[in-house]
Parts: sequence; C-alpha cells; structure tokens
Amino acid sequence: MSGEPAVVFGVQVGQPPRRTWLWVTLGVIALVAMASVGCLSVLRTGRPLVATAFEITTVLPGGLGEGLGLEKRAARAESELGKLSPRGAYIVIDTYRNRLHLLEGGKVLRSAICSTGTGRVLRDPRNGREWVFDTPLGERVVQSKRKDPPWAKPDWAFIEEGYKPPPPGSPERWDTVSLGDYGLYMGDGYIIHGTLFKSLLGRRVTHGCVRLGDEDLEFVYKHAPIGTRVYLY
Amino acid sequence: MRRLALASICTSAAAALAWAGNEPPSPAYVASRELELVAARKPQVYLVLSPELRALDVRARGVTLDRIPLAGLELLSQQPVLGRSLPSSPSVPAVWMIKEGPGDTDREIIAPTELRPMPAEDEEEEEVAPAPTPAGPTPTPTPIPEPPVSYRVQLENGWDLWITDRLPRQGFLRLVGTALRDGWNRWRGRGLDLPPAVTLVMAPEDARRVHHLFRTGTAILVTTGTP
Repeated sequence: MSGEPAVVFGVQVGQPPRRTWLWVTLGVIALVAMASVGCLSVLRTGRPLVATAFEITTVLPGGLGEGLGLEKRAARAESELGKLSPRGAYIVIDTYRNRLHLLEGGKVLRSAICSTGTGRVLRDPRNGREWVFDTPLGERVVQSKRKDPPWAKPDWAFIEEGYKPPPPGSPERWDTVSLGDYGLYMGDGYIIHGTLFKSLLGRRVTHGCVRLGDEDLEFVYKHAPIGTRVYLY
Repeated sequence: MRRLALASICTSAAAALAWAGNEPPSPAYVASRELELVAARKPQVYLVLSPELRALDVRARGVTLDRIPLAGLELLSQQPVLGRSLPSSPSVPAVWMIKEGPGDTDREIIAPTELRPMPAEDEEEEEVAPAPTPAGPTPTPTPIPEPPVSYRVQLENGWDLWITDRLPRQGFLRLVGTALRDGWNRWRGRGLDLPPAVTLVMAPEDARRVHHLFRTGTAILVTTGTP
C-alpha cells in the first residue's frame, strides 16, 4: 500500500473502471457458457417419460382355427365360450369391495356384505413355513354343504396367536361355534361360512374363507346347490 | 352386477345377429374370441383390455365379472429431449402374461418370534391376554393398507403395464425440467432405466381395486375388432 494499486483477484484496484468491467463481463460470459454447456450435457443425458398414443396394429396369430371360414370359427368360439358359462345360480365375490352376489340368468338374487382374506403372510418361527391368507381368485365350485359346520383348526390358527400347535386330532383343535350356522365348501379348505365377528363384515380380515352375516348365509345356503359355480376376483 | 351380466349377454347377441345378417366377422375379432376361449378354458381370472372400448374387463370362464373404464391408454417410454426413437405399439390381438405383479409382492408378513405351549384347560396363563369374546379365530385388528393408485406390472414380453390415475405432464417446459432432473441423477449414477410401458389411466379407486388382480401368471388378453 505504498502508492501502488492493490491487486484483488488479478484486478488492480484503482485501475481505470473500463478494464474492471471488461474482466467482470468476461467472467460472467465464461460462467454462463460453462453453465450452458453443463445444462446441455445434462439435458442430453436426461430421458423424461414421453407419452404417445396406443395405436392398434393388428397382427393375426396363427394356429387358431385355421382352415375354417371366419363365420365358422367365430361360431365355434362363441359356442365353446357359451358352454363354459354357468348354468343356474352362480356366486360372484368381489374380494376388494367385500361383496357377494348370488345370480341366476343375469338376475341378482341377493347381494351381501362379506369378509375376505387379508392377503397377509404368516411365518412359522420354528421352520420358516409360510401361509398366505388370500381368498383364492378364479372359478371354484360348491363341493359340499353342511349345517353347523365344525372347524378343525389348522396349525396357523395357533401360530398366529403365538401358540405351539397341538398334535393332530387333539381336542384343542375342534371348534364348533366359529363358522356359524352353515358352510359351503369350495375345496382346499376354503369355505363360505358365518361369523361371530359381525362388525368386521365388509373388511378384509379372514384367512382366506368368505364370511357372511347370518341371514345372507342362510339365503345363499338355501339357493346355491352343490355344484354352484363361484367366481372370485 | 346386473348391468354387467346384461352387457355380456348383449355382446353375444349382437355377435349372433351380425353373422345372421351375412356380415362376416372381422378376422381380428375372430382371433380375439379364439384367444379368449383358450384363456377361458382355465379356471383362473383373466383380464381383457379392449383399446377400442377403452375398458379393462375382469373375466373368468368368459363371464364378465367387472368392467373398469379407462380414461386413457398410452405408451410411455423414456426418451431424450432431442433425437427421440419412439417405440411402436405392441401388436393386437395378443395375450400378455404377467411376469411379476404387485399383487404378489406387496404383502405384509406376520412373524411371531417364538411360540409358547397351549395352556391346559384348567390352568391359566401367567400373562393372561384378554380372552377373545366370543371365542374363535382372532379378528385382524390392524387395518389393511390401501393399495397404491400408481404401480407398474412386469410383462413377459418385455413391456411394463403401468396402472396410474394420471399421466406425467407432457408440456415442453415440463419435459425439459424432467430431463434436467433425470440427467443430473444419471450423472450422479442414480439414473433409472424403465422399460416402455403400456399405460392404463383410470380413476384412483379403480386403480386400487384391480391392484390385487395383477399376479404372476395372470393373462391379459388384448382384443380388437368388432363382430
């Protein structure tokens, strides 16, 4: 500071203002250029999701009904699909909304609130065995029906409550009240039955079975004979 | 439910009337019905996507159990802002099989840490939990979490199916902003490459209620053509 101008970032303080502005301008230009190049590079690398219309491009699969005229093929497909459709009464169960419908010929005979599976998985801490508490989806058939159905409690019923399962056939496994007044058996242990926990109807709380209130269960029991198809979705 | 059953009957009746009037059915329609016949021979639930009707049907054995109207049907793919190469739509009619769906993976696991012996009938447990009244299977006390409204389903054909209640915005500035954000993430090694997705836009409640139907091995039949 002995009469010579001080130097700050290469710029001599006290120099004529024109040169200071020149440096500042050049610096700003350099910064903008670097930022632009960086942005462009980043922009070129980035790949946002772009929507385009779904266009119907028809490509006919081979091997199905070849050798027949279109009318015959269509008639055959319709006829075969018709044979797969249910005859008489059938049951439709919406496992998300927890609704059961009993239908016949397109007419709804009864709609009821039900409870279906939680979808949770139970793991046995002893061996890692797992049970999935899903109500099965797809078509099933009422294989048998029973009044005052007993429940032979499986292992998971004890494990879920934190107990070691008793040996098979032991009296602790028998429960004669939990399934209500009627049971419609759909195979693989899945049953449409009653419940003691009526306040939970309409919620996904079961281990895979379908629970109904007493009056709805009685109606379905009386109007769905053995062989009735059950569609669960 | 009644409307669905009637709609199903009406569709079949319309098909029968069309042929009776000597109008040959379209080859695409015939192929669609034949593909459906293959799916309907199995007891599983299958889904039918109709791009023309903008609807997703839930069916089993040829019976329409539910219909979900679609607000949009689009292809979504990751593209650079400049120099795009858009994918072409998958051909129809076709059957798409689900490789992995959220209906399989989004599950809560209950795992007790240890099991204690059952108390004898005449003895009481030391730490007595309140006895369930009435006795029976314990009701699940905790609520089941709501399914999401936006999720991806992997298909075996390499595509994804994206169920959502809204598409990402497509304005130019929005795309540039997303490109910058995505590019920055890629520079930091956090980029995410997504396969192209057939995107079904539907009401939030509809997206939730079909969530559990997207399970591994479920068939999605994509139909086209009219009788």
